[in-house]
Amino acid sequence: MRNFIITVAASSLVLLSGHAAAQAPSDAQIAAIVVTANQVDIDAGKLAEAKGSNAEVKAFGKQMVTDHSGVNKQAVALVTKLKVTPEDNATSKSLKAGGADNIRNLEKLSGAAFDKAYVDHEVAYHQAVLDAVDKTLIPSAQNAELKAMLVAVRPAFVAHLEHAKMLQAALAKKS
Amino acid sequence: MRRGTDAGALALAASWVLGVALAAAPAGAAAADPPRTHEVVIQSLLYVPETLTVRPGDVVVWINKDPFPHTVTAAGVFDSRSIAAGKSWRFTARKLGTHPYLCTLHTTMKGILRVE
Repeated sequence: MRNFIITVAASSLVLLSGHAAAQAPSDAQIAAIVVTANQVDIDAGKLAEAKGSNAEVKAFGKQMVTDHSGVNKQAVALVTKLKVTPEDNATSKSLKAGGADNIRNLEKLSGAAFDKAYVDHEVAYHQAVLDAVDKTLIPSAQNAELKAMLVAVRPAFVAHLEHAKMLQAALAKKS
Repeated sequence: MRRGTDAGALALAASWVLGVALAAAPAGAAAADPPRTHEVVIQSLLYVPETLTVRPGDVVVWINKDPFPHTVTAAGVFDSRSIAAGKSWRFTARKLGTHPYLCTLHTTMKGILRVE
């Protein structure tokens, strides 16, 4: 079940990567994808902060809430300035649904099983977000400031992915 | 008139003392330079410049231009703790040497402070 959830969440973004060549998302759609992608990770982070059993997992969850909230604040300020209204689309809807599935799955778990499921999902999710940012969002963005913002926040996703992988390895050693 | 003479004598004496002091200073008199303030900008998870060389007593200001917090941490030498988005942290360099530092929140971020 857990692997299924991870696959579902990640596939929302894989779908986006594959979909790109046929129909690139507009700036309004990119804005919705960015805000949703951050929000999905904020929601999971809040749950990890509250339910995680390992101190480092809880701290990572808290950091995801802080970092992705910061990125979203910046993204909302930029699209407001650019007068771009985020437009829901298949990818943002799929991300939202995948995020909700992940939360539902995590809520059933506790202790080490919760920590592992949360961290495994974070690894897959950040990898999928990075692929989407590189293959679709940055190449498709029309507005220079929107593109620059995506380029500027990309390293945060790389750092989060590395951090999540480190946690994944540390948890595997303990079990 | 008399006061003027005294003032002139005083100025002469002062310049003589200063001259002696300067002459007595070692060849590397740059040590007497006033402390400087250096800036390191934190943006897109990079410290810019990545390597900074300063003199003891110089001030380094790290400015966080990312939309989330970072730290500037060299274990046992300095630790900014969390620097919020848009905020900065000042540090007076004292300990000589090469101090590699990182962000404890994003360990992919690395910088070097040289104090020499």
